[in-house]
Amino acid sequence: MTGLTLAVPSKGRLEELTREFFAGEGLAITRPGGARSYLGALEGAPEVTVRFLPAGEIARELIRGTVDIGVTGRDLIHETSESGPQAVHFARALGFGQANVVVAVPDAWIDVTHMHDLADVASDLRSRRKRWMRIATKYITITRQHFAQAGIAEYRIVESLGATEAAPASGAADIIVDITTTGSTLAANQLRVLEDGVLLESEACLVVSRTAKWGGKRKAMLDALLRRLGAEAMG
Amino acid sequence: MTPATRRTALESVIAAQAAERVNPPLLLPADPYFDLAGEEFGRRLLLTSGNDGAEYCLRPDFTLPIVADYIRNGPGKPAAFSYLGPIFRQREDGPAEFDQAGLELLAQQNADAALDAVFAFARDALAAYGITRPRIRLGGVRLFEALLAQADMPDAWRPRIRHRFGHPEALSRLLARLTAAPDLPRVKQPSRKALVEDITGRMTAAGLSLTESRTPEEIAERYLEQQALDAAHVPADTLRLLKDYLAISGPALQALTRIEALAHVRKLDLSAPLATLRRHLVALGSEADVVFEADFSPRLDYYTGIVFEMSGRGDEILASGGQYDRLLERLGATSPIAASGCALWVDRLEAEAAR
Repeated sequence: MTGLTLAVPSKGRLEELTREFFAGEGLAITRPGGARSYLGALEGAPEVTVRFLPAGEIARELIRGTVDIGVTGRDLIHETSESGPQAVHFARALGFGQANVVVAVPDAWIDVTHMHDLADVASDLRSRRKRWMRIATKYITITRQHFAQAGIAEYRIVESLGATEAAPASGAADIIVDITTTGSTLAANQLRVLEDGVLLESEACLVVSRTAKWGGKRKAMLDALLRRLGAEAMG
Repeated sequence: MTPATRRTALESVIAAQAAERVNPPLLLPADPYFDLAGEEFGRRLLLTSGNDGAEYCLRPDFTLPIVADYIRNGPGKPAAFSYLGPIFRQREDGPAEFDQAGLELLAQQNADAALDAVFAFARDALAAYGITRPRIRLGGVRLFEALLAQADMPDAWRPRIRHRFGHPEALSRLLARLTAAPDLPRVKQPSRKALVEDITGRMTAAGLSLTESRTPEEIAERYLEQQALDAAHVPADTLRLLKDYLAISGPALQALTRIEALAHVRKLDLSAPLATLRRHLVALGSEADVVFEADFSPRLDYYTGIVFEMSGRGDEILASGGQYDRLLERLGATSPIAASGCALWVDRLEAEAAR
């Protein structure tokens, strides 16, 4: 491979904001085949091939090294693989897509304000009810990592791919780990974020794969492109 | 010596044990592992699911299927099992499939003799790979439990401290929190009844079941307990004792002598667990570098008496095990049953021998 591959979100608000960012830096994204096409180009940077992919796939491909550069959420890099953050270089935060991955409990749990309270609740459920505390989330990797750091081992994850905030009311789980921008969905469901319950502050980032092959002229091309985008060079 | 002759030597060490050689299925239901060890261990399983949605994992260890089988066949009688075969775990340093060997001694009359037999087995297995002077790291779960039971503090704190033993970071965070606990003026607490009403109201409004998860009573009780705990300080003196104790680490005889001195000054009776540790030290002999670390314990709460790890010149742990009398109860036995054993990392043994 001689050129660079840049993966950008294929649809929705993220796609629009990504286009705006590149255009603002003087490198407009073109999609010659129209919205149905999966390939595009960067105006003024002929060495770059643009691929349109869902944000989650971009994170996976960056970690595997099958795309060189991509725009995706920090949360997705952390979630896709435990070693994801080591496999990439966060070159620049893009100032949009801000959201936090948080731990939220029913507001009625007035005795639980911090992660260390959850450790007690988890062991109480285990000893009194003979069952694990259940956490509904789609952020399995992030949850496991942070709960391990907090010294909480007595829990089970219930995988939830949508409407996670409804899990406590539906009886599917006791608490949740979810992404939130304003917290209003959580509040509407009478859920409360723990005081030290922000596991990850996420936003859209320009991300470079460390696992891609960076031989020959490609590293120099990358350095030049990152400079043009006002992004930090990969060390 | 070649890898093949070393492997043969390991086979003979296993065959020499007075133990039944077993080989549990490779494909096992995943739930018991999650139930026993939680997500922290669960993240390392290689999972697959059946057509009916049931979750299976590739055998991640031998102890659980061996012990579960033993319980199914009617526990109580002394039994010994040995194994050697592949296990599967997600790991960063090496392939997900690797061999493990080990020994499980269940319901033995003499728990001390059983642990000595486990030590001897691990030493013999290491010797088969040319490691005749291993480094051995010992930890005392019973010793810590004895200290905790006698240390002066409100009772409610004991299980919370015990619960964090084996996780040095979480434990030191808790001790730091207790040290920094502010001496707040006591606010008058609402009555239990008023709290339960308030919580019930909130839960109903949120559409939460009052019975499925934590009940309003449980929440109110823990809330009041927390308020009481914040007021019920762990004496600064006790916190110092815990910190001093947990910091003890070094050549085993010296470390135990320091613990004895600490116990003497603090008027604690730790003589029984200390005597047991000393007996095992004698049995281990002088041909090993044995250290004792007061804060060392596996994170799993079914370990009970003495726990250990053995390594060679490198940092890799080659053998680990100890006593886990609570495991059989966790897996459904109706009364406590003595258990001890260890697992050997065969690929690491071979790597160490090849160094």
